[in-house]
Amino acid sequence: LRGPPGRPVLSVRSGSGLELSSKALADLMKSVLARGLPFRFRVRGWSMSPFIRDFDVLTVVPLGSRPPRTGEIVAFVSTVDERLVVHRVVGRRGAALLVQGDNLAGATDAAIPESRVLGRVKRIERDGKTVRLGLGAERSAVAFLSRKGLLAVLAAGARALFRRGSAARA
Amino acid sequence: MQQPAVKLDRVYIPSEDIVAREIEGELIIVPLAAGVGDMEDELYSLNDTGQEIWRRLDGRADLQAVVTALCKEYEADPDLIIQDVVGLMEELLKRRIVVERPAG
Repeated sequence: LRGPPGRPVLSVRSGSGLELSSKALADLMKSVLARGLPFRFRVRGWSMSPFIRDFDVLTVVPLGSRPPRTGEIVAFVSTVDERLVVHRVVGRRGAALLVQGDNLAGATDAAIPESRVLGRVKRIERDGKTVRLGLGAERSAVAFLSRKGLLAVLAAGARALFRRGSAARA
Repeated sequence: MQQPAVKLDRVYIPSEDIVAREIEGELIIVPLAAGVGDMEDELYSLNDTGQEIWRRLDGRADLQAVVTALCKEYEADPDLIIQDVVGLMEELLKRRIVVERPAG
């Protein structure tokens, strides 16, 4: 016999305060999407900047019967370390999808089997507001620039111009 | 609406409106009732003892069988175990995390 058990406790947790590993998050996302429902979560990291930023809230929906298209942002499980990754589809290589972070200039495209994709990003929220840039008709052009390694260069240029403009106004 | 009383001769099962996963030693329960698995909303977790009870909600064992199994495993007053199991089930029912298995 084991000693007396402690009392069973059901705790109410704030999802945003829960520190889940990337692998755990992928597991939960997979379970929810398998029910045909969207999954909403706070993303960490800058690899998709400027379109997705650290602490943005993403809504990922199941792929359904339509395979991911070039330009779409997808959530997938990395073949390297089983972590959850959110990157843009920039092309295809045979049956595999080429995916890349918008902010990873010069990084080699990763080719992943489509079976690794959990869902597509349908919505980006930042500070309580929906961000549309990067998910609309411009996404194919973004994918092209990203694949050519030009997106991060353009973004850096735009940031420099913005800073210069701000300094001039001040 | 009044909540149905927990009865020991009934079988309780996890609701279709949740996803529960054991993650890093903790059972995380994500409600789906709003039609979305929302990690920005409220989630639930169960401690070790709660998980011991949860694991036994297999769709076959009624609550009395769950209590009996726990009494065999733990050195504790059976009345206290019943009280704790019923208390937890009341909480889970109230939040629609479990439902009573339909008869038949």
